[in-house]
Amino acid sequence: MLLKDVRDYQILFLSLFLFLGIWTRDWTLRPDLILVVMITCLVTQSLAVSIKQNLFNLLPVQDNCPNEIDSGLTNVLAKLSLRSALITALGLSLLLRADSYSTMILAGSFAIISKFIFNFRNKHFFNPANFGIIAALILTKDAWVSPGQWGDEWWYALLFAGTGGTILKRVGRWDTTAAFLGSYAFLEAIRNIWLGWTWDVFLHRLMSGSLLLFALFMITDPRSIPNARIGRLVWAVSIGCLTFLLRNQFFVSTAVFWALFALAPLTIFLDFIWTAPRFSWGENPSPTFSNLVINKSEEIESETYLQA
Amino acid sequence: MKLFRIGKTLVITLLAVICFAPTAWGFCGFYVAKADTKLYNKASQVVIARDRDRTILTMANDYQGDVKDFALVVPVPTVLQKEQVHVGDPKIIERLDAFSAPRLVEYFDEDPCNPVMYERLAAPAAAPASGAARASRDEDNSLGVTVEARFNVGEYDIVILSAKESNGLETWLNRNGYKIPQGAKQLLQPYIRQNMKFFVAKVNLKEFQNSGSQFLRPLQMAYESPKFMLPIRLGMINATTEQDLIVYVLSPKGQAEVTNYRTVKVPSDAEIPVFVKNEFSDFYKSMFQTSYTREDKKVAFLEYAWDMGSCDPCSAEPLNREELRKAGVFWLDSGSHESAPFRRSIAPSNDVFITRLHVRYTRDKFPEDLVFQETSNNQNFQGRYVLRHPFTGDVKCQAGQQYKKSLTRRFEQEAQTLAKLTGWNIQDIRKKMPVAQSNSRPWWQNIFP
Repeated sequence: MLLKDVRDYQILFLSLFLFLGIWTRDWTLRPDLILVVMITCLVTQSLAVSIKQNLFNLLPVQDNCPNEIDSGLTNVLAKLSLRSALITALGLSLLLRADSYSTMILAGSFAIISKFIFNFRNKHFFNPANFGIIAALILTKDAWVSPGQWGDEWWYALLFAGTGGTILKRVGRWDTTAAFLGSYAFLEAIRNIWLGWTWDVFLHRLMSGSLLLFALFMITDPRSIPNARIGRLVWAVSIGCLTFLLRNQFFVSTAVFWALFALAPLTIFLDFIWTAPRFSWGENPSPTFSNLVINKSEEIESETYLQA
Repeated sequence: MKLFRIGKTLVITLLAVICFAPTAWGFCGFYVAKADTKLYNKASQVVIARDRDRTILTMANDYQGDVKDFALVVPVPTVLQKEQVHVGDPKIIERLDAFSAPRLVEYFDEDPCNPVMYERLAAPAAAPASGAARASRDEDNSLGVTVEARFNVGEYDIVILSAKESNGLETWLNRNGYKIPQGAKQLLQPYIRQNMKFFVAKVNLKEFQNSGSQFLRPLQMAYESPKFMLPIRLGMINATTEQDLIVYVLSPKGQAEVTNYRTVKVPSDAEIPVFVKNEFSDFYKSMFQTSYTREDKKVAFLEYAWDMGSCDPCSAEPLNREELRKAGVFWLDSGSHESAPFRRSIAPSNDVFITRLHVRYTRDKFPEDLVFQETSNNQNFQGRYVLRHPFTGDVKCQAGQQYKKSLTRRFEQEAQTLAKLTGWNIQDIRKKMPVAQSNSRPWWQNIFP
């Protein structure tokens, strides 16, 4: 049950980060806003799933629906994909700052809805939390991201690398993190040499907790990124390059989020060029007719990985 | 009294400031002395008024040496023309400092036997306490240095340089009488490579004498650039110790914060022993140092964040519109803001949010220049320390006895808070504390009066 799903680990780790952040990082995190964003994400997810299912049921023949008395909590969680919504909410809580409830509600609902709207061949291509962050930054006047607040301490780096590694190993998406960090670090190193800065400047930039959190927990969402490894590598390197450009040429402090947002649609294109089986959280990705219904909800559920 | 300060840089291209100051608090770039005057950075103050890509940067000079030795080199993001440089009013920095300084607040306990009064006390009846104050063109070309502009502003002779490589820049500065600290060359290069310009100022002695002023006035520059940063690396060249930089960011939006280091609030709202009133500056210095050490010396401290329209408690009156304008606030003059006279009485200078950041930095903990961002965070914050004077009159009622008894615990608590904040020896603190005249009567007296 619990911890059976990789996302349970993710929820656990992200919650841990949130507590750590509140206790040790002296943030202006507001518990009320965190609560609001959690509720928003869960409610939006539930509503969206039921609307989608209802729409779906209208089209095909709605005959056999006998096996729905699975009243277990896990089933509810799975059906509504609440794990994913929770991960999105945690991601938003960790990264987004706002002054009002309405902004958090907007961020949370846009994050979840993006999964259902920006969907191509039953695969969403925006990372939900990232989408929520960008939506709040663009559409409201009181949202911001504090990229410096995680500091650059080595034990945070180890913590992120350890927990992130645990998940990536299970999910098999470490290549994305490596490609992103590798390309970004390479460009920063070249710039560092060219400018003549000492290497501590380079290390300081790369040790940023926010950057690592992003690289390990957000950019690796197996559901929204390209399916084929080669596609993922191209995709992650592009994000690394764009991040570098935005940060050093346009002085955007939240460059990573904009880079991911801008390049997310590239997933569709890359999937088209390099095909590979889609990632699925369930163990049996090949649907048989009999488990079609279940698979559908599972599908929806899996759409959110790290919405951090 | 201290030496000197300088300041900062912002917006679009990058703003780098180099200053050198000899003593007390602050930040910055470096001062280039013409004589062997010992110059150390101690404390610099910088005011950054910023709205979108527009910035007005004020660098406060608290230079203590002979003015003929004063020189300043600051990397700036764009070529500045005469119209973009201005000599500011030194009083404005003092005003900002006083307004935003960490403060002591005093409360006086009322007679515990008079509950009406006592309850009223619960309302903030704060008595504001004093705040702590707190060569030829050809030659130039051969060096790869271009004089982009040359002009005088007030008592300053200013040259705006662009350079192709740091050797040439160093040679140019040396030939023109500026003494560059050792090691500056390597540090100048990254700014050159980033296509930044160099703002070089020295004092025109004749003008200075004519002005009759005793002090150098702050330099102000206006420019447009997405770069919102302060180049602190240059300022570390000739620094032998930790340097302090106070940055006042004035924004129409909300709090400013550092994006490449953590921004942490200074401890605040603590109740501390009354005797601290007489040694507030020692207290604050110790407390700041303790916090700085606890945070591993790599954070920026938020000392104050407030809407300029009000204050509570006020350690100084909020700046009025004219003063804000002098501090570089340029967005208030646009008509829309002025059309609210009724609001003015309540909040005379809304639309200006002040953030006071205090950065103490050293080379090993702050490898990168400071980068800032404005946020929409409108939460107010102040470094505020509370003194509660116990009621000293006679108490005869039961509540009064309880009150007296509670004092012992309260004093101990205050002593411990103070020890924790400052790292001072708790025994020494206790010695300075009043002995809670434990009026407590022997227990048997309740029975045998």
